[in-house]
Amino acid sequence: MSAMRSLVHAELNATAPSFLWTDYIPHEKAWDELFGPGIAPHTHCHALAQWLGNLDIKEFQERRKSADLAFINQGITFSVYSDRRGVEKIFPFDVIPRPVAASEWTLLDAGLRQRINALNRFLFDVYHDRRILREKIVPEELVLNSKCYRREMIGFEPPGRQYIHVVGTDLVRDHTGEFLVLEDNGRTPSGVSYVLENRVVMKKVFPGLFQQCKVRRVEDYPQRLRDALLSVAPASAGDSPTIVLLTPGSYNSAYFEHSFLARNMGIELVMGQDLFVYDNRVYLKTTRGPRRVDVIYRRVDDDFLDPNVFRSDSMLGVPNLMKAYRAGNVTLANAVGTGVADDKAIYPFVEDMIRFYLSEEPILKNVPTYICARPKDLAYVVDHLDKLVVKAVNESGGYGMLMGPSSTASQRAEFREKIQANPRNYVAQPVVTLSVCPTWTDEGLGPRHVDLRPYIVSGESTWVLPGGLTRTALVKGSLVVNSSQGGGSKDTWVMENGS
Amino acid sequence: MISRVAEHCFWMSRYLERAENTARVLDVNQTLLLDFHVPSEEQWQPLLIISGIHDFADPSNAEAVQHHLTWESDNPVSIASSLLYARENARTIREVISSEMWERMNYYYLWIQGPVARAMYDYDRSEFYNQVKRINELIYGIAEATMSHGEAWDFYRMGKYIERACQTARILDVKYHMLLPTPDDVNTPVDTAHWSAILKSCSGYETFHKQRQDLEQGTAVADFLIFDPIFPRSVRRCLLYCQEASHKVSGRKKNSAGNEAERILENLVDWLRLATIDDLVKAGLHESLTRVINTIHDIGHAIHRSYFDFDQTRVMEMLQSQTQRQS
Repeated sequence: MSAMRSLVHAELNATAPSFLWTDYIPHEKAWDELFGPGIAPHTHCHALAQWLGNLDIKEFQERRKSADLAFINQGITFSVYSDRRGVEKIFPFDVIPRPVAASEWTLLDAGLRQRINALNRFLFDVYHDRRILREKIVPEELVLNSKCYRREMIGFEPPGRQYIHVVGTDLVRDHTGEFLVLEDNGRTPSGVSYVLENRVVMKKVFPGLFQQCKVRRVEDYPQRLRDALLSVAPASAGDSPTIVLLTPGSYNSAYFEHSFLARNMGIELVMGQDLFVYDNRVYLKTTRGPRRVDVIYRRVDDDFLDPNVFRSDSMLGVPNLMKAYRAGNVTLANAVGTGVADDKAIYPFVEDMIRFYLSEEPILKNVPTYICARPKDLAYVVDHLDKLVVKAVNESGGYGMLMGPSSTASQRAEFREKIQANPRNYVAQPVVTLSVCPTWTDEGLGPRHVDLRPYIVSGESTWVLPGGLTRTALVKGSLVVNSSQGGGSKDTWVMENGS
Repeated sequence: MISRVAEHCFWMSRYLERAENTARVLDVNQTLLLDFHVPSEEQWQPLLIISGIHDFADPSNAEAVQHHLTWESDNPVSIASSLLYARENARTIREVISSEMWERMNYYYLWIQGPVARAMYDYDRSEFYNQVKRINELIYGIAEATMSHGEAWDFYRMGKYIERACQTARILDVKYHMLLPTPDDVNTPVDTAHWSAILKSCSGYETFHKQRQDLEQGTAVADFLIFDPIFPRSVRRCLLYCQEASHKVSGRKKNSAGNEAERILENLVDWLRLATIDDLVKAGLHESLTRVINTIHDIGHAIHRSYFDFDQTRVMEMLQSQTQRQS
C-alpha cells in the first residue's frame, strides 16, 4: 500500500513538482469525496480535479487569501457564545469544493423528501390521534415525556398540516460511500446563508472553474422559502400576506444569517419588541402605526416565543403570540413543537415512521442508534463507551457530546455517571468514519472529515436545495465538524446531469 | 418601516456625521498650531468643551486630547467610537441599507481598528483626518446611488442634518472659548487665523470668500455659518434639509401643525428666518448658539418620541375604537 502510494507520488512529482495535488496523501480508510484508489478522481470530479490540479501552490494561496478577504470585508461572521468581546468570527472557509454526483443527488433528493413527509405526518399524528403511539411503533413515553412535546399544540392544525417548513438534515457518508442520516434539525436550523455566500465567493475567486464544471444553482433558496411561507399564510391574510423574520437580535450567533435571509427574501427582520398582539392578531410597530403580520418565520426557539406560555423570563418573544397562533391568525414557521420529531431519542424511529405512514421502504438509512432509555441498550452503552459516540438528546452544535475513541478515562467515567442518572437524556452510536475531502489547513493539503447538511423547504410543495452546507473538520483525524468546535465549511457542488 | 429600524438608521447616520466633524475640528486645530505659538491649553481645551467633555484630566496636553478624541473607546464621541457605533447600527439593519454601503462601512471599521490607520495617524495626521472625513462622504454617496430613496433614506438624511446643524453651531462656538490674549487682539492675525480655521473646519473657507466682503470678519463668518441659505453646512440649510426629510416621513400636510418634532423644528427654523446676525450678536453669540444647540437637542428627543418610541398603549386604544366602530 505505502509502496504503491510512493510510486504514484514519484510519478506526480516528476511531472508536476509544485501543484496542488502533488503532496496529497489520501485517508487510510475513509471514503474520499474527490478521489478513488490511486488518486484517480471520481468520474464527476474529473474536470474539477484537473482544473485545480493545474494550479500551482502559489496561485492557489493567492486565491485562498482573496476568498478570506471577501468574507472579512463583507462581515460574513458568526458569534461564539463563550466570547463576550470581539464576538464576531469568520467561519473558516476552504476553497476546495465538495462535489456530489448528479446520480447521488437524485437519490438524496428522493430520500430527503420521503423523510420530511414522514416527519410532518408524525407531528400531526402525535398532536392528534396518536395512532403511531397506540400501535406501539414509537414508545409513547418517549414522545409524551419529551421536553419538546408541546401540550399547547394538541388538537391544533397548522395551515396545510405543515409543521416543519425548513429542515436541515445532517448526512454523513461511511467508508463504503453510503450516505446515512445522522440527525434531522427541524426546529430552527441554521447555516443556509453560508451555502449561498460560499458560492458567491467561489464564483468570485474561481470564475474559470465554473465554466469547466456544470454546477447546479443554489441562489433560488430565498425566493423558494418566501413562496413556501406565502403558501401557508392564514386564509385571512388576503392577497399579499406580510411575512417577517423574527430574530433573537444582533447578538445572536446566527444574526448574520437572519439579516441575510430577510434581505434576500425582501421581508422585514424583526425582534420580539417590534411586535405586539392585540385581539389575537399580531401587529408590527412601524413609524406609521401598527401593521398586521400574517406569517412569522421565527428563528427564536419555542421556549422563548411567548413569555405568557413558555419561559416567562424571555425578552425575545411576544406576549400572547400563542393565542394569536392558535386562533389561526398568524402562521409560525416552523410550527411550535417540532422538536419532538428531531429529539435524538425519537430519531431512531424515523425509518419505522416512513414504513408506517407512507408504506415505503426508507431510501436513506439512519446510523444505528442505542437508546439509553432502553435497559438493554443502556447496559451495552455504559460498557462500550470507548467505542461509541454519546449524544445528549436535546443538545446541538456538538455540545454535550462524548467521542468515545478519543476520550479520556475520566471523561468516560463522567459520562457513565450522567447517563445512568438520566438515561432518557442520552443516545449512542457507533463511530462512523466520515468521508473525507481534500482540504487546505495550516498543515498543508490533507484529507479532512466532512458531513453534509442539505436544506428542505416545505410549503404547499416540497423543494430540496441542490447543494447544502458541507462542514469540515480542520484538525487532522477529527470527526467533529461543528463550527462551534472549530470546524470550517466548503462550497457543495451538486453536479448537473451528464457532467 | 419598523420604528426600531428607523432609529438604527437615524443613529447610523448621526454617528458617521459625528466622526467626520470631529475629524474636521481636530485637523483644523492641528494646522492652526503650526502658524501660532500660543499656549497649548488655549488651543485644545475648546475642542473638549464643544464635545461636551468637561472633566478631562490633562486638557493642555495636545497629544492626550487628540488621542482622547480620536481613539479612546471610553469616550463615546471619539472618532473610533463613532465609527464603531455607526457600524454596529448598520450591522443591525443590514437588510435595510444596501450591501455596498455595508461593505464600505465594514471596511472602514476594520481599517480604523487595524494597524494601517494607526500608522497613518502617527506619520501623517492630516491625511488621517482627511481619510476619516472621506468615509462619511463616501458612504453618503454610495447610499445616494444605491439605496431606495424611501423612508429609510429620509431617516438617514434626518440624522445626518440634525447632527451636522448641531456640529456647525458647536464649531462656531469654539471661538467663544478660544480666548484672545487681550481684547486688543481683535482683528489681529491671531484673530483672523481663528476665524479662518473655523471656516475651514466647515469646508466653508472658499465659499465664504467668494461671496462675503461686507461685514466685520467675525460677524461675517458667524452670519455665513448660521444663516447662509445655500451653503450645505450652515445651521439653517441643515435644518431645512432635516425638515424636508421629516415632512417626507410624516406626510404632513401644508399648514397643519405636524408632530412634536416638526413643531419644535419649525419654531427654530422660523426664529432663524426672522432673526439677523446683529440680533444674535446683541443677545450674545455664545448665548444664541447655546440656544440653537439646546433646541437641536430637544428636536432629537422629540424625533425619538414622534417616530421611534412606539406608544403601544395609545395604539391599542386606537385599535379598540376601530373594532368598536366596525361592530
